[in-house]
Amino acid sequence: MRAQIQQPRTGGRILRNGAFVALPLVVILSAVADPTLGRELLQWVPYLASGFMMNVVIALSAMTLGTVVGALFGMLSLAPFRLVRYPVAAYVQLFRNAPHLVLIFATTYIFPFEIVIYGTYLPFPDWVKAVIGLAIPASAYVAEITRGAILSIPTTQWEAAKGLGFSHGQALRWIILPQCLRRSLPPWMNVLASITMGTALASLVGVHELLHAATDASTAVRRLDFTIIAYLVVMAAFFTLCYPISRLTRRMEGRFHAA
Amino acid sequence: MPDFNVTDLFVSLTSRIGLNYEFLSTGYEAQIWRDGFATTLFLIVLLIPVSLVFGLVFAACLTSGRLWLSVPVRAFVEVTRNTPTLVQLMFSFLVLNTFVSSLVGGVQNNPLSPFFWVVAVVGLHIAALHAEAIRAGIEAVPASTVEAARGIGFSPLQILRYVEVPLAFRASLPAIVNNLINLVKLTTVGNAIAVSEITYASIMVWTQRDNVVSLMIVILLFFSLINFVVARLGLWVERRLAVPGYGL
Amino acid sequence: MPSKTPIKSLFALAMSICALSATTASADATLDRIKARGTLTVGVILSGAPFGFIDPKTQEQKGFNLDIAKGLADDLGVKLETVTVTPPNRVQFLQQGKVDILIANMQYTEERAKVLGYVPTAYDRAGGAAIGRKDSGLKDWAGLKGKTACVSQGSNYTQPLIEEYGAQVKALPSQPESLLALQGGNCDVAVHVGATLGLLLQDRPEEWKDYAILFPTELIPSDSVIWLRKGEADTTAALDATVKKLHASGKILEFAKANRLLSTEYLQQQQKALSAAQ
Repeated sequence: MRAQIQQPRTGGRILRNGAFVALPLVVILSAVADPTLGRELLQWVPYLASGFMMNVVIALSAMTLGTVVGALFGMLSLAPFRLVRYPVAAYVQLFRNAPHLVLIFATTYIFPFEIVIYGTYLPFPDWVKAVIGLAIPASAYVAEITRGAILSIPTTQWEAAKGLGFSHGQALRWIILPQCLRRSLPPWMNVLASITMGTALASLVGVHELLHAATDASTAVRRLDFTIIAYLVVMAAFFTLCYPISRLTRRMEGRFHAA
Repeated sequence: MPDFNVTDLFVSLTSRIGLNYEFLSTGYEAQIWRDGFATTLFLIVLLIPVSLVFGLVFAACLTSGRLWLSVPVRAFVEVTRNTPTLVQLMFSFLVLNTFVSSLVGGVQNNPLSPFFWVVAVVGLHIAALHAEAIRAGIEAVPASTVEAARGIGFSPLQILRYVEVPLAFRASLPAIVNNLINLVKLTTVGNAIAVSEITYASIMVWTQRDNVVSLMIVILLFFSLINFVVARLGLWVERRLAVPGYGL
Repeated sequence: MPSKTPIKSLFALAMSICALSATTASADATLDRIKARGTLTVGVILSGAPFGFIDPKTQEQKGFNLDIAKGLADDLGVKLETVTVTPPNRVQFLQQGKVDILIANMQYTEERAKVLGYVPTAYDRAGGAAIGRKDSGLKDWAGLKGKTACVSQGSNYTQPLIEEYGAQVKALPSQPESLLALQGGNCDVAVHVGATLGLLLQDRPEEWKDYAILFPTELIPSDSVIWLRKGEADTTAALDATVKKLHASGKILEFAKANRLLSTEYLQQQQKALSAAQ
């Protein structure tokens, strides 16, 4: 059995590392093949890079916000009071099932552009709205993951901890949480990858991120081959960011199953 | 006629609580919006079987043990999983489509519509996710069961057809249902290439009027409802197919 | 949004995770705010030369719309701040108060005038042109019945194309996508502001050699006006005076020539009429 699976995996490994350089390679090759195209592309690299930074910032902020809120909601969804549980369950249901794009449209067009807190004007820029638009579904997924992780720990462990003289808080800190974290890390990283790729949707509401920058560039250059390369660059950039995440996730999943 | 009265009543009732659905009593905007719902539903109904069929094909390739089958499929799966679907869609529609046009000798011969590209990109993307789920399911089929099937003289294809796939399908069903919910949500990217699904239709309405909130409430409820139905159906299938004694 | 209805507020509140003691900024006295802040925030569209695009070398925004925005800000004695908008989000950005005014290829239509305010003196006159393959056999707008036309989402050509000419409209996020869709064969024609298409054909003859602007007449030629939120009389008056001044001094005509606008007849007329009036 093991030998049977091993065979394609070795081939797979070569391919996996190959895939990692293939997309950027296509971009570089075509840039070299046509020097005018390469020069044009080189001119736009800083502009595209600033766009990609925005993707990274949005993804990280949305995940941070989503994880904090989601973990809290996940614990609340196990609270012994219906008054707490039901609204949380409704929130998770509604926003887990809502398309990311619709939520980004909603936060962009419904929130004001600035807010007033005690007389000071705080700007509320688009990219922050996109962060919230992506943090909402992220928090719904994380709530589900947290809930699942807590439920997956058998109650006997709580009892055993109590038997060993741990207080409730100590048991949570030293016994339950470490196991929860280990179990929820792979699905959490799936959410991370999904949110990172979701940042491209922000281009549709005019946030200056990579896809938007690529459209700006191809509007200015107005060359068909440049447009093609621009899209390839966008794909390669996202791939370079998300592929390591997904490989790491699979490694961890494998380890978790083996353990 | 009664239809008109209901619409008017709805518009006036909702306007009292501050929502604006006035466009429902106009001509082409109301038509676009109604078509939007229909298109979204049609996309979903079409995409579910498409994604499942290709998911099975991909899974068969991945587990075939033949490099010339598994390597290209694995490469496709990795690219589609790790790049944004919106970018894939734009790339396919704007770049691949142009290539297809020049292959068939001019744009006038190119039969591929934006609708086709949404079905292809979203369908194959979800199929890749299905394939991963099914592959995990196939690997979870106990080796002893496969040995037993081989022992009673099943060919490799028969083992796949009668032993591995039925068991793997059951094991991967929760993941598949999850993918289908993602599929429903992904149909919204179609608006970027003018497929008249519900978000596209709503953009057409709200760019001429200022009623984003009103439309957004309906869209969110609509997607919640669809995904509730999909999840329920998934659960129903899961129960129907449950093999006694083979639980996960 | 000056009138926040209960449902809207409730929904916005439900959407926001941390419900701070936040209130919407009142957006009524735009002129006061422009003066107080010392900046005029203009929504501009980057749909390509001549109206608005990013300069490859400096990566700054350039174009006719940008020049006019600069002219307005200079005249008001404030700094200019620009926000890039797209056809599907421009009205929302204005309504939210994210931008003070829009100079974004938006022509006057009755429908728009119902929801938005506008500066009565136009800064240009523009209509839609249809670009399509030379061998398409299309001769006039009426020939579009049943044909597919690509436009931008939120374009004012959508309604006349559907209702008057019976065309199938496909609306894409912005003009570049629409033109790529045309090249890919996904539509019979693409309908956009005439000047952009004319300049495109002139500048890229090789890539567009099979294409032409098909019809001699323009679709709903109308005034390009500056849009602002409804009911802001002071701002409207101030901007109207400024636009008149820019016309009279020949500045707008200068901008048009610098940005290679193909037809400047209307602007020349305006300059004559307004400089005579002063």
